[in-house]
Amino acid sequence: QTLEDKVQNLVDLTSRQSIVKFNMDKWKTLVRMQPRNYSMIVMFTALSPGVQCPICKPAYDEFMIVANSHRYTSSEGDRRKVFFGIVDYEDAPQIFQQMNLNTAPILYHFGPKLGAKKRPEQMDFQRQGFDADAIGRFVADQTEVHVRVIRPPNYTAPVVIALFVALLLGMLYMKRNSLDFLFNRTVWGFVCLAITFIFMSGQMWNHIRGPPFMITNPNTKEPSFIHGSTQFQLIAETYIVGLLYALIAIGFICVNEAADQSNSKDRKNAGKKLNPLSLLNIPTNTLAIAGLVCICVFFSFLLSVFRSKYRGYPYSFLFA
Amino acid sequence: MTSTTAARTASSRVGATTLLTIVVLALAWFVGFASRLFAIVRFESIIHEFDPWFNYRATHHMVQHGFYKFLNWFDERAWYPLGRIVGGTVYPGLMVTSGLIHWILDSLNFHVHIREVCVFLAPTFSGLTAIATYLLTKELWSPGAGLFAACFIAISPGYTSRSVAGSYDNEGIAIFALQFTYYLWVKSLKTGSIMWASLCALSYFYMVSAWGGYVFIINLIPLHALALIIMGRYSSRLFVSYTSFYCLATILSMQVPFVGFQPVRTSEHMPAFGVFGLLQIVALMHYARNRITRQQFMTLFVGGLTILGALSVVVYFALVWGGYVAPFSGRFYSLWDTGYAKIHIPIIASVSEHQPTTWVSFFFDLHITAAVFPVGLWYCIKKVNDERVFIILYAVSAVYFAGVMVRLMLTLTPAVCVLAGIGFSYTFEKYLKDEETKERSSSQSGTTKDEKLYDKAAKNVKSRNANDGDESGVSSNVRTIISIILVIFLLMFVVHATYVTSNAYSHPSVVLQSSTNNGDRIIMDDFREAYHWLRENTADDARVMSWWDYGYQIAGMANRTTLVDNNTWNNSHIALVGKAMSSNESAAYEIMTELDVDYILVIFGGVIGYSGDDINKFLWMVRIAQGEHPKDIREENYFTSTGEYSTGAGASETMLNCLMYKMSYYRFGETRVGYNQAGGFDRTRGYVIGKKDITLEYIEEAYTTENWLVRIYKRKKLPNRPTVKSEEATIPIKGKKATQGKNKKGVIRPAPTASKA
Repeated sequence: QTLEDKVQNLVDLTSRQSIVKFNMDKWKTLVRMQPRNYSMIVMFTALSPGVQCPICKPAYDEFMIVANSHRYTSSEGDRRKVFFGIVDYEDAPQIFQQMNLNTAPILYHFGPKLGAKKRPEQMDFQRQGFDADAIGRFVADQTEVHVRVIRPPNYTAPVVIALFVALLLGMLYMKRNSLDFLFNRTVWGFVCLAITFIFMSGQMWNHIRGPPFMITNPNTKEPSFIHGSTQFQLIAETYIVGLLYALIAIGFICVNEAADQSNSKDRKNAGKKLNPLSLLNIPTNTLAIAGLVCICVFFSFLLSVFRSKYRGYPYSFLFA
Repeated sequence: MTSTTAARTASSRVGATTLLTIVVLALAWFVGFASRLFAIVRFESIIHEFDPWFNYRATHHMVQHGFYKFLNWFDERAWYPLGRIVGGTVYPGLMVTSGLIHWILDSLNFHVHIREVCVFLAPTFSGLTAIATYLLTKELWSPGAGLFAACFIAISPGYTSRSVAGSYDNEGIAIFALQFTYYLWVKSLKTGSIMWASLCALSYFYMVSAWGGYVFIINLIPLHALALIIMGRYSSRLFVSYTSFYCLATILSMQVPFVGFQPVRTSEHMPAFGVFGLLQIVALMHYARNRITRQQFMTLFVGGLTILGALSVVVYFALVWGGYVAPFSGRFYSLWDTGYAKIHIPIIASVSEHQPTTWVSFFFDLHITAAVFPVGLWYCIKKVNDERVFIILYAVSAVYFAGVMVRLMLTLTPAVCVLAGIGFSYTFEKYLKDEETKERSSSQSGTTKDEKLYDKAAKNVKSRNANDGDESGVSSNVRTIISIILVIFLLMFVVHATYVTSNAYSHPSVVLQSSTNNGDRIIMDDFREAYHWLRENTADDARVMSWWDYGYQIAGMANRTTLVDNNTWNNSHIALVGKAMSSNESAAYEIMTELDVDYILVIFGGVIGYSGDDINKFLWMVRIAQGEHPKDIREENYFTSTGEYSTGAGASETMLNCLMYKMSYYRFGETRVGYNQAGGFDRTRGYVIGKKDITLEYIEEAYTTENWLVRIYKRKKLPNRPTVKSEEATIPIKGKKATQGKNKKGVIRPAPTASKA
């Protein structure tokens, strides 16, 4: 086949769908044989459900996004320079054998001058990831064809949010006669305190850095929930710390409520305030002591957690 | 007769309260000032870190040449060959403040060097911050809570971290301006007077001239106004104070050259304008409600609001699209979309203080106040009123921002101190209320100054709210125990704050300190040694290339021209320097020749185990260079085959040949740290370096400091006649045939390694 034939063949193949599905025959002529003046970006993957490959599908989806963007946005000349293809293990296991591959997915770039036996350029999924932008960058690096990656908009998040808002508004509408809870300060108080606990326990750090939940020591097999460095934290740690902060705050509020109750008893002799604690009818002394114990124990626990991370911190309270 | 004695006792009580308040605030000021002097006591009165050096240099320039010369100052010693317009790109508040203090002292015939003023400015302002915090908390809750809050903020490590003596930076005075603006805003909202609102705008003007964080104020105050409107708490006081504040503040803030037309042209300032418009509509509605029928009102309300809302959104987007209003800046996006900076602006992501905050740093900076401030927040919500809405919004937004960026811990600290003050004062108010004896016993238990201070605050609260009814609820023993334990917690906070200030925040970072096994302090003064060498031994117009971190210090201490510095305004220029550092020697030489570089300065910590050196920052140089020159610099090339970043045995060829590696490790292979350690053992990284025989071709070593911390290289001039290296001198022989068989003779082999070429 001459060069023109091959290019025409490829253009025909990619006019319907944006990638070329290779079998052994096409593979040999279009990719492995010279002459070529075009680059082939080929993904080796195993999409059939029989093969256990959980990341093949997402990688394939990202690859398709790049291929589609290339098909719709690149100029005519660029589209003749770069073609996207795919080799599925089910369709052509021989190609896998020929390339000596036993893992998937793998993305190769076959440059225009690449000889029949030469090893093509491989994209490193480990380091670069396999999202469409990274693949686009790889293509741009290798072939100097810049593919403007256009991701088909993902409607899930907006739909979910819209549904949620609709639900909320619906509920408000249903309960429009009793909107008291919007003016309920306790609810707002809980919301605000929850926000402070969440952020003070470093949830934002978790969100950005994505640490593991806990780590197991490879030698002793002992799980540890607290990482011994100030620069790193585990998800379990933030839960512990958030809980401790909350418990200290509760203890403090208990102490104050005890005093408030005794004062209101003085004044009006009956807790007319709708206070959940006064309904439980705990003696104020007990409540105050319980609150105090709560503060002391959990704050010293917090201090000891802190000490286990910040080596050399000299002060502790109750526990080491 | 009785009435006069009553009046006299009342006035004497007021007098005693005032006296106590003043004493407590004065002590808070003193303690705050004194605890920030660790660095000065240990080393000497010098400017710390990086940015302060520029501020100091600018202040020095202003004091020497006058204010107007300063505003028009074009600094040709920075960003060579571009230069930098300093007057238009700095917040001048800091320089003007210290210049003013210097001038006042001078006219009073106290002649101090401007450096002393700069060094002691931040500790002095910490006292003013305490007073402003007292005033704010007094307006929000009670004077007792105010005193607690003032004492907290005076020593809170979260604020001390930015205001120790010698850290001459914008934040030092900005937190005072922030708190004072908030106080005046709350005051003007409470009174509804134009005077307070104008004062608030003036204070805001000072804040704008001092720190870029003013954007926080101009968004928080409108948010507060908006929240009040939504909660149905609109009042004419709000209308008067917000409108007069907004108009004056916008006009005043536009007087700062660096800010200029931003208040009307950037999206960050648009919410304030939107709320301003909304407030007019709401005021109109209130006016109309009493004058028209309900039917008409509803039509007007719904119809008018929808049309206006839609119109304003359309107009906003039209303005953004038309380029009249700038869209939100990248730094702003990075606050909301946390992944944004990492992808789009590596220069922002590379700064360590822009990293997210771990819970450890929250606890480290706030200690007990972090645990108690939710309590204060809880009671503010429970007993909400117009001005408490403000502190709630402030706390919740600040805690979010502090979670996203370590640096914004600074804006959270005042809110935490205010709320923790409220929390503690709420409890002490309840628990110190009975007989005098118990209260006195707890006040005697304290011996330190700070602890007395807290008790005085509590006593003060008590004296105001004295209420002699016998408590049937909590028994007096329990009261005593709780009070004492809470005082113990406060003591722990004081001890913690002192420990943190002394150990973590009082290192000048210009001077390094380590201790020997015996506990003696060793002071390593390598930075100043190197800068002094540059100052004395190089030509006055010599250009020094270094990574941008050290730009301000080179300009300030060595007084030499730099290529890039900490004012990271030109990304491509920084990328060029990064490219020079990460290319091989000959490619780097080309770049350096183009940029007229005479000396190159690198920081190398491998000898003493200093982890903040250039090799550890090197990956950022590569990344930033790759962002601008993706063809020449590729991050992957600098990793080992297993994908790690290493300069050890497995380091890649590109890594071993790049300029940074060569400059850091030149002749390092000859060193031997311990008896049983191999030569070239890098103590920072903890392994032996990958390549020891480093030869330099285009540059030569000029100076290396005592502990190798700073290494300075000189760019060689191009030789008049290119010399041919001995390896290349031999004619390469094609193939090995020539050395085989009989035709050996006739081949000259000066060295046995000739076939290497």
